[in-house]
Amino acid sequence: MALLIWILQNFWSLLVLSFATLVGLRIAYRFRKYGATRAELSHILRRSPFYLVVLIFCFFAAAPFMIMFLHSFKVDGDLYRRPQPFIYRQDPTLEHLESLFTNTAYLDFIRNSVVVGVAVVIITLILALPAAYALARLTGRWGERAGILMFLVYLVPPTLLFIPMFRIVVMLGLKDSPLALIVVYPSFTVPFSMWLLQGFFKAVPPELEEAALVDGYNRVEAFLRVVLPLSLPGIISTIVFTFTLTLHEFIYALVFITNTSRRTLSVGVPTELILGDVYFWQPLLAAALIIAIPVGFAYNLFLDSLVQGFTMGAVKG
Amino acid sequence: MSLVELQGIKKFFDDVRAVDGIELEIENGEFLVILGPSGCGKTTLMRMIAGLEKPTAGQIFIGGEDVTALPPRKRGVSMVFQSYALYPHMNVFNNIAFPLKAQSREKKYDKRAIRDKVENTARLLEIDMLLDRRPRQLSGGQRQRVAIARAMVTQPAVLLLDEPLSNLDAKLRANARDELKEFQRSSNITAVFVTHDQIEAMGLGDRIVVMSHGKIQQIGTPQLIYDDPANEFVATFLGSPSMNILRSDAFSFGFRPENFLPKTLADNPENSRIFHYYVKRVEYLGSDRLLYGYVHGHDNELTLAKVPSNVRVSLDVDCDYEFAVHNSDIKFFDKQSGQRIEEQNLQGVV
Repeated sequence: MALLIWILQNFWSLLVLSFATLVGLRIAYRFRKYGATRAELSHILRRSPFYLVVLIFCFFAAAPFMIMFLHSFKVDGDLYRRPQPFIYRQDPTLEHLESLFTNTAYLDFIRNSVVVGVAVVIITLILALPAAYALARLTGRWGERAGILMFLVYLVPPTLLFIPMFRIVVMLGLKDSPLALIVVYPSFTVPFSMWLLQGFFKAVPPELEEAALVDGYNRVEAFLRVVLPLSLPGIISTIVFTFTLTLHEFIYALVFITNTSRRTLSVGVPTELILGDVYFWQPLLAAALIIAIPVGFAYNLFLDSLVQGFTMGAVKG
Repeated sequence: MSLVELQGIKKFFDDVRAVDGIELEIENGEFLVILGPSGCGKTTLMRMIAGLEKPTAGQIFIGGEDVTALPPRKRGVSMVFQSYALYPHMNVFNNIAFPLKAQSREKKYDKRAIRDKVENTARLLEIDMLLDRRPRQLSGGQRQRVAIARAMVTQPAVLLLDEPLSNLDAKLRANARDELKEFQRSSNITAVFVTHDQIEAMGLGDRIVVMSHGKIQQIGTPQLIYDDPANEFVATFLGSPSMNILRSDAFSFGFRPENFLPKTLADNPENSRIFHYYVKRVEYLGSDRLLYGYVHGHDNELTLAKVPSNVRVSLDVDCDYEFAVHNSDIKFFDKQSGQRIEEQNLQGVV
């Protein structure tokens, strides 16, 4: 506890210090490896403007998260006093974090979101994998048209659809249940994933499947044994993308579910932590940050294949 | 009964007649080459034998059984693709074992039997030290051998090869051609080889099928096709440089540049036809001299002559010479259809 408070109070100096240490270590490592020659020194000098620019962009990208992190631990007095202190004036506190987990249904929100997300991902894959494969291999005019038609579905905004969708959900008796979201979310995740997967499948040469056909397999086996393993990076990035789509969906989740403990993160957090015009900033920021970190990691891991998927779809139409 | 029989095979893509009525019998153990320019339908024909395309009309028999409606896996054929189509996510061993694993569901090979078969085939093709590598770590020649090993490992009735040498560089190609022929002879497998390269076709084929515009132009041994072409297309498609074709009012006739020699060199002048030949340009090709010029009376039809360099006859640019062709080396063709016709009287034509 004392350690945490010390870290928070010295956050900026620690940040600068750790960065300087890293740079120092790198320079020391290169000195050891190549010797402190003039060439080495001039190399460091030449590269330094580049790293400076990178550093500035890193700061831009990371600043919101750092501010979220710092504010989560501030007492009210510190947060609302003007001018905003750069760092803590009063001791940081854990009470807001505690209240997020004890006074709100935050854990329920996470559980609901994960359940809905995983279920939607599974449904999406079951529907989108064969559909995308069919579209990728149906090279005639109809395949392309069908693909564009299905993508158009994705462009119809939920704000237009939530009232009719609500009627359907009530008719199915799914109101106030996460099942409602599991049923409705594939309406936008399937077209999108299909589009993404189609690009990955098109990148697999058809000759490989034909080879599998001649080697003694039927088309389904050829798909499972050759096409799927080859487009695995694409499939994983589609999973990540579909999951985030369900994670930040707001309007369906807001309308279909009114029972607090059955809500998902995207609705639960703002409705619980914003009462009228009172914003409970510290738990709000903490709630957002906690969920953003794993998603951010997942994105970073699959960033390359994600970008590849989008551009492949773009080039091949 | 021949091993493979094609009866009236047709394949239309919308309005394009890719393959237009093919009748063909492939004998057991023969090396059959399908030769034709690109777009003549030869690859489509092979894909129909493999079962990757469905014929618009006609029937295909393999081993006496009608396989027209059967999928590729039930035909007992293997194929080597132009791009080799090796599975990039498997190492060489698993690539070669892939068709065995499919068969194993019916024939029940255990792991050991699969390993033995793969290793035997790999040893035969001298790739047994590459079994742990991935396809992208292999050279072009090695990839080609892996593709052949994968096609051979199940001991198929027919091995189909779709221009497997065209991705190799020229030096490697001659070597690979030799090995492929040797391998086919020793394993006594029936092979169908598609190519647009006449040297490959002449060198490899027991018989050659010359195709053009979806139709078979001629079937025969390399020598028959070269010496006795059935029509003008076959005559000009084979041979480099190609056969000289001259036209008269009633018919066309042709002779090969290497048979078109100075009169003094003709070994049998009584049975030869004499032409007055004007030499416009001479190319020295090392072993041969290639002459470009015109035969008297055919001033618009470029005629080539290929004279061996070791023959000491001076042939100069802008001069007229007497050249001779043996009568049996002159082929006659119908002017409209291009089909071969019997010998015509050349009196007054040249």
